[in-house]
Amino acid sequence: MDQTKQDEEYGYDLFPERNKGKQQEKTFGQKLFTFNHKCQVMLQFSIETSPYAKLLLSAMKSSGCEVFKKRHFSCEDCDGTVSGGFDATSSQIVLCQNNIHQQSHMNRVVTHELIHAFDHCRANVDWFNNFRHLACSEIRAANLSGDCSFSSEVSRLNFGLKQHQQECVRGRALRSILAVRKISREEAEKIVDEVFDSCFNDHEPFGRIPHGAKEAKFAYRDYVNRDRYSSSL
Amino acid sequence: MDQPRKAAWKPPRDCEDYWSEFRHCKTLLNFFHHYYAYGTTPSCQQWKEDYSYCREWEKHGGKEAKEALQNSERNRVAQQRNFTPVWELRQEPPRDWHMPLNQENSQDS
Repeated sequence: MDQTKQDEEYGYDLFPERNKGKQQEKTFGQKLFTFNHKCQVMLQFSIETSPYAKLLLSAMKSSGCEVFKKRHFSCEDCDGTVSGGFDATSSQIVLCQNNIHQQSHMNRVVTHELIHAFDHCRANVDWFNNFRHLACSEIRAANLSGDCSFSSEVSRLNFGLKQHQQECVRGRALRSILAVRKISREEAEKIVDEVFDSCFNDHEPFGRIPHGAKEAKFAYRDYVNRDRYSSSL
Repeated sequence: MDQPRKAAWKPPRDCEDYWSEFRHCKTLLNFFHHYYAYGTTPSCQQWKEDYSYCREWEKHGGKEAKEALQNSERNRVAQQRNFTPVWELRQEPPRDWHMPLNQENSQDS
């Protein structure tokens, strides 16, 4: 298949730096005063302080996919308004340095993409050919990362209360799929509907939908104690 | 060689963890989050019961308290697994997870 067409088929055109081959060497000035440096600093802060990220990193290590910052994360310029992505081909999480400017946003993107990476690690996810798999991972990532928290939604001027989280998760999963795959909206909606109940209720590795740092810390505490927990039952 | 001693049974969580979950469950914020996610009000009573079973077991080591705790937690686990997975779980992690990057990028047209 023609490379350009393949790029568009799988959403790689949103991440133009992915095909550049060898990373271009940066000058000291470029390293210090650019979006790239800011992205690296915010990423490090997320890894060290976000209970969501810490739990996911532990879970991935336990599953045999230890994450190394230099190998598995890449700060790049991206097209449009996309914030990040997970590239299964290279086993890398892409962070869009030109579109992430606040630490809270970085925390959410890191969590969101780590959920994709976690799914890739623990399950036979067919990212490229199985839309149900893609939809499922997007539902989980929107649900568990804080993407659909009340405050995130309010900041997007989406006001809703009763069960609004589910509406948000559906909508964001749909948008994510439509951004990276060429299918019709109707088709995408149908697929999201088919897998929604299963995937909305899959809370691995959190054991709950963490609504904020306190619940994420509880989830991390439970994860650390999982051996004691399972042996006591 | 000595026979390995069977480790004494410990409750699934520290008793304080049950209490902190109960306290958190009762907050207005948690009520709000639960309603926002599920459209229903949260039920917190089980955490309180589990806390008292845990304390009961710590004081007297009774069989009823232990079994009540185990049943409660097994129920929680079952609720977490109450869905049919969309995908198959792997037996091993993906082989290329740790492969160096320049080996990954075989972008032949």
